[in-house]
Amino acid sequence: MAFNHISIDEELCNGCNECVEVCMCDVFAPNPEKGKPPLVMYPEECWFGGCCMSHCAQSSTGALTIITPFQMRGGFKRSCSMVR
Amino acid sequence: MPGLNVVPVETDVLIIGGGLAGCMAAIKAAESQELRVTLVDKSNTMRSGCAASGIDHTWAYIPPVHEKMGYTIEDMAEDHRQVISYGFFRRDLFYLVAGTNYERVLDLERWGVNFRYEDSKAPGKFRIVPQFHSVPTSFNFDGGPLKPVLTEEAEKRGVAITNRVQMTDLVTADGQISGAVGVNVRTGDIYFFKAKAVVLSSGRSNRLSRNPTGFDFNTRMPSPMSGDGTSMAIRAGLPVINIEFLSNILGPAACGNYNPNYGDPRNTVQPAARIIDGQGNVIVPRTRFYDWENLGKEKWTEEVRRRWIEERKASRGVKRDLAKRLAQGEGPFYLDFSEATDEEIDYIEWSIRNEGKGNQFMRYFQDEEGADLRKNKQEYAGLWPREISGTAAKGLWVSKDLETEITNLFAAGDEVAGLPWQASSGAFAQGWYAGEVAAKRARKLKGFLPLSEETMKARNELCTEMLNRKTGFYWKEVEIGVQNLMDFYCGDVRSEAMLKRGLERLEDAKAAPMKAGNPHELGRCLDVKSIIDNAELVLRSSLERRESRPIPFGFHRADFPEQDDENWLVFLAIRKEPDGTFSFSRIPVDR
Repeated sequence: MAFNHISIDEELCNGCNECVEVCMCDVFAPNPEKGKPPLVMYPEECWFGGCCMSHCAQSSTGALTIITPFQMRGGFKRSCSMVR
Repeated sequence: MPGLNVVPVETDVLIIGGGLAGCMAAIKAAESQELRVTLVDKSNTMRSGCAASGIDHTWAYIPPVHEKMGYTIEDMAEDHRQVISYGFFRRDLFYLVAGTNYERVLDLERWGVNFRYEDSKAPGKFRIVPQFHSVPTSFNFDGGPLKPVLTEEAEKRGVAITNRVQMTDLVTADGQISGAVGVNVRTGDIYFFKAKAVVLSSGRSNRLSRNPTGFDFNTRMPSPMSGDGTSMAIRAGLPVINIEFLSNILGPAACGNYNPNYGDPRNTVQPAARIIDGQGNVIVPRTRFYDWENLGKEKWTEEVRRRWIEERKASRGVKRDLAKRLAQGEGPFYLDFSEATDEEIDYIEWSIRNEGKGNQFMRYFQDEEGADLRKNKQEYAGLWPREISGTAAKGLWVSKDLETEITNLFAAGDEVAGLPWQASSGAFAQGWYAGEVAAKRARKLKGFLPLSEETMKARNELCTEMLNRKTGFYWKEVEIGVQNLMDFYCGDVRSEAMLKRGLERLEDAKAAPMKAGNPHELGRCLDVKSIIDNAELVLRSSLERRESRPIPFGFHRADFPEQDDENWLVFLAIRKEPDGTFSFSRIPVDR
């Protein structure tokens, strides 16, 4: 099963590796090429804490994005109507 | 075959686990600047432990508030003993935690954590809310940046923070701690610590149940936590208490499958959240925050406690029923904020964003989905993995000075049994005190005790083998096997035959050869070893407890359906004997 929810934009990432440093689950590994985005090695071990995003030096640019996996989405009513 | 490289470390005070308790212990131990203090964490202390991505609350006895209410710390002790922990109570630990956590809050504030709000009408401009006890006793605060603040304070004091080292074994000499062994999960080095005093603060058991999302690391509490301290302690001959209890019963959870830690309508999403059913009927009503105009006018009385107990029983009773009602086809249920004021929504969003995965969940909810708390009711009582021995009664037995039976080995925070739901308050208060006592002991010792290499060599051999095997199971296969075993043989309703069969099958897991492709995977294999140790304790203690105790610990034995306070209102201690068998003892609770 290849989970794919974390992506790092090569253009926007500056390779600071803050995400590698803080990720509690050790999901990322530094890129062998300095300055390049880290490798997302173990996405299936993600806790969804979002510390990678909150510590990202380029967070305002959206360099690191997380698309919540499908099976964790939708636990809410989409319509605006009051439930009667 | 050549073993892994060994990195020897000499330190005066070693703290195992850099969560809230461990950071506090390190900060206090380093205060005198006379001792070498080493803080070890399997992740990075900046973002590790239960408060990794933030926490929004901590409770305490707050003299400037409670004295005006006529509410004493003895009143609070009785609240906690009777209605929070249902008799599972150590009075000495309660007084340590409730009695000193306010001072710890002021310390956190000094180090840069914000607790004061201009719009607050409470004394000190704190945001103080009802959560656990019969009067408001919880601070809501900006706990998002808490771990980076604690990490920085520890670094300022010269604590040597060793990240990405997973601890695996305690080493003793004649009943005294002499050191510990760990593995660096990035470099693959064995870390061999020599220490005069050790604080064990590696948190809760975890990952003992499958996750319906298929992301087994999508647990409520941070997933790297895997009961490593419990595993080390039981192998060192120490007793573990009440690991058979559940802390979160399968069922009530907020937001479907996302598992943010914002709990139920009396917690992060108060005061406006209420639970409604699919027809819009309100089954748990909203609450109100304390009206600070009343402070000093209304005094606390037994009547106040009685009303609180009734209200609490009513709302908790409904929540406990939700799992049953769902199973009977009465769902879905929703958290409803439709009648919240703007001010209340702001408060709730602020709270959620500070608490656990709440920030990440709100990002998903608002940014990815464009959803709104009031318009888009969140599903409540969704699928959620069973949480065994989280904030319940489980942990190590310690003296009033937080010392275990092993001299100079202390424990703090969720590692300690005896005060259910002590949570962050226990972590702050006990972490601090354990650091203080450990430092005192280390100062007294002139030199180090002999540090036997036997355990370290055995660990080195096992790790080397796992990395060099030609064939073996991927750690995840064994973990899923154990989680399935626990869900099936040690589920919501347990029985002797099923528990025994679970233990039989656990032997396969113990013997399963695991292959690690790199140090990261080696760390995961070691997680699984801890998980197996914890699972065994849960199964065995469940077998031993021959009664049922549904409230508040969700413990059900089909073969012993009645609650039996006379024999079982006790701390049940399990211990592994030197010959590998297990023994039990019953420790009386404080009345």
